[in-house]
Amino acid sequence: MSGPIVNESHYSRLPLFCLRLGAFLCFAGWTWVHYYWEGPYGVLLWQDSTFELATRLGLSWDEFVGSGADDGFVQKWIARIWWLYLVCTVLTVTVRERSWIQMSALVAGSGLLVLLSYASFVASQRQLPMFVEHGGQMLIPILLVMALGLGPGHRVTVTTAIVAVIMTFAGHGSYAIGLWPTPGNFYAMTTVILGVDYETAQALLRTAGVLDFLVCVGICIPLVRRGSALYAAGWGFLTAIARPVAGMSWGLNYWGGDQYLHEAVLRAPHFLIPMFLFLIWRRPRPSEAQIN
Amino acid sequence: MNLHRTKSIACCCFALLFFGHTALAQQNSQRRPGRAILEIPEVPRSEVICFALYTVHDNTLKLTAQLYPLQSGEPTAVRLEIQKDGQWVEVARTDVIERGWTAPFRVEDWDDTQAYPYRVRHGSEAVYEGLIRKNPVDKDEIVVAGFTGNSIQPAHGGDISRQDLIDNVQKVDADLLFFSGDQVYDHNRHYAAWLKFGRDFGEIIKDRPSVSLPDDHDVGQPNLWGESGKISTLSGNADGGYRQPGIYVQEVERAQTSHLPDPVDPRKIGQGIGVYFTNLNWGDIDFAILEDRKFKTGPAGRVPKQGPRPDHIRNPDYDPASVDVEGAVLLGQRQLDFLDAWARDWHDAQMKVALSQTIFCGGAHIHGGANGRLHADMDSNGWPQSGRNRALESLRKGFAFHYAGDQHLATIFHHGIDEHRDAIWSFCVPSIANLYLRWWEPLQPGQNREPGSPEYTGDHLDGFDNKVTNYAAANPDKKPAGNLLNTRAAGFGIVRLNKKTRQITMECWPRNVDVTDPSAHQYPGWPLTISQFDNYNPPSWGKLGELTFDVDSPVVQLVDAESGEILYTVRVNGKSFVPGAPEGQSFDIKAGQDAPEKTVVQGAQVGGEATAVQLK
Repeated sequence: MSGPIVNESHYSRLPLFCLRLGAFLCFAGWTWVHYYWEGPYGVLLWQDSTFELATRLGLSWDEFVGSGADDGFVQKWIARIWWLYLVCTVLTVTVRERSWIQMSALVAGSGLLVLLSYASFVASQRQLPMFVEHGGQMLIPILLVMALGLGPGHRVTVTTAIVAVIMTFAGHGSYAIGLWPTPGNFYAMTTVILGVDYETAQALLRTAGVLDFLVCVGICIPLVRRGSALYAAGWGFLTAIARPVAGMSWGLNYWGGDQYLHEAVLRAPHFLIPMFLFLIWRRPRPSEAQIN
Repeated sequence: MNLHRTKSIACCCFALLFFGHTALAQQNSQRRPGRAILEIPEVPRSEVICFALYTVHDNTLKLTAQLYPLQSGEPTAVRLEIQKDGQWVEVARTDVIERGWTAPFRVEDWDDTQAYPYRVRHGSEAVYEGLIRKNPVDKDEIVVAGFTGNSIQPAHGGDISRQDLIDNVQKVDADLLFFSGDQVYDHNRHYAAWLKFGRDFGEIIKDRPSVSLPDDHDVGQPNLWGESGKISTLSGNADGGYRQPGIYVQEVERAQTSHLPDPVDPRKIGQGIGVYFTNLNWGDIDFAILEDRKFKTGPAGRVPKQGPRPDHIRNPDYDPASVDVEGAVLLGQRQLDFLDAWARDWHDAQMKVALSQTIFCGGAHIHGGANGRLHADMDSNGWPQSGRNRALESLRKGFAFHYAGDQHLATIFHHGIDEHRDAIWSFCVPSIANLYLRWWEPLQPGQNREPGSPEYTGDHLDGFDNKVTNYAAANPDKKPAGNLLNTRAAGFGIVRLNKKTRQITMECWPRNVDVTDPSAHQYPGWPLTISQFDNYNPPSWGKLGELTFDVDSPVVQLVDAESGEILYTVRVNGKSFVPGAPEGQSFDIKAGQDAPEKTVVQGAQVGGEATAVQLK
């Protein structure tokens, strides 16, 4: 995996593209959320403790949340924060092997995604899988930086990618299998897309949950890791597009695209990180082996 | 703002986002528990019946016993016994429904002229006792205690005992309890939370009729536009429909509403979900029980985007007519048909009250504090405007008073359709423990305010351009001052319906006060007393000639002589009545002792002559 590869640039081009595309789509999706809709920070900011800290830092109440007649610090910054995501989106395209400043910015972008995941975690009454299942999204900017700085096939890069996949699938699987209450939208999407009743939807979700955990194990076993990664890529893609498939309709404004498409786009790491691993673990073709 | 200030704020922002919450949350956690612990306790088999809710209507008793989980091998039969002449007599028996562990009983030919002690029994050990009250038809004043928003989270004061509420309900000896929604905030474990609700409120529920209406959080989602049982897949659920599987929603409704009188139109909606809209006649007060959300259209993708959420409008310059889209439903035709019939029917009824989840307007301007000013919220019954107006038109035809909750902000509004104050009054009660703060804080002072009233009262347009007149708002403190209940404007409502005077008195009490203590204060603006007849008394109307009757309190109906449309139907108070009516139109007046069967005046107009009517 981390051995010498003569034609490194050719061999790693596609896996690297997967990470670049995944990070680009993830940030682009979240840029859309922050620009067109609103970032989910209210759950973090509307706290006694947050205001206490703001007070210590010299902000009055009116400055913090607004006077009622005008916006305060919170609303203004929530409305502006989309710029940070847009910058990160652009950086995923422009970042190169020695672009240390851009790489640092992308790592900071990963911090933004961690914050979003933390907000989702708090909003879910601190259900652990809610944070864990965002592992792919949180780690993909760092993975891109690692792939550029260390190489896509470097042990650290691959291990981090494995961790990202395990987090995504373990989090998802914990809900699907019922270790934590299965979210209603899991049933809803299954029922709407497949047209099945509750019992069938539940059986399908439980099965998918078991397979999620098998992926987490299989991806660590050399003999089955490629198959596991391929399954994870396929399943990750299906669960990502499930939202627009279930929700979009001809009768809605813009067919509902503004409501649903970003939900699939920002989940691109869920299938592109496994695809990265699948490609990294492919056997070199004879021509590549001969060069080696 | 100078550079130093900007830097300071930027540093603050960074620190807040990354470190603030976690660091200080830990400090707070030493002062109060962080989160509610919700679990289903192991109980002795003798206490396996948690609580029981009931109503009596039209000589039918419906009682639902809520059980803790039964163990394998235990009998599933549950018995209902009443005490008659000193003897316990079994009057009904049913099998517990395992999904939700409810045991719904139904007893027909119920004698509501007497009170009966009852007991629910399971197996040989479990007994739960209460009292089925006699129908309080002989009482002049019917007292209805109203509650909403039962957060159990310590951050909202939800871990503070409800004993003050129990004590106050006992002191005023409420005839009916009304839980308007969000009895449960847990989105996945309704059963466990409902059991906790029963442990908290069972002491008052067991001895008097109760109405509980499941709202959005009860069925497991942040907002609800039911769209006749559609499946919702969008985060936030503004696409319409239910987020949780139909089987979950059915369980919730069975637990909370299966003790209500039979639905008037029981056809199921999508996913096999039932309906419960109906009427409850108790103490000669006719209550319409409505479902604001069940048929309501979801706004996402149907209305032009006007804010950071599909259901929120931030842009104050938007065109309100642009969101009143064709085909958008509020109550739905089935409920409107019911309301039209209900407003005409005054058998055994002296006053009418509509009970539903929320009020028919956008009743708040600032939502959540940190979320800032919101011009309009499509979760409110102010949207869609056409549906809102249609509902109010139906309700005012019966001079119905509206009692609701949901808003987390207690208010009194007098609603208008074509002009201010031409429709019904509403009272939105405060939350038991307030999950989410809202403020009624219009930017412009209201017109036509009562002398000495705050500027936020008076005539306003809400964010949908609906005409509303505010009389009171129990705004919370501007800063989230710790976790005290009353800084978050928690409390409960009491409505006194006086059949003798036909007056309606609204009381709005904070938590942890003794309502019988003369020194106890209600929220500013309460109490307020109105007349039943204020619920349809437009300022532009004049008076027809006085009617005098040879019977006491007959039913009178005004019918437009040209169109044949009913203007209103009402049971008058006493032997005389001066009907209000619009200028320049002619009306046929019908009357009767219990129904308007006889035309007594034809072509009546404003300023007409008095008429003596014989109905015997």
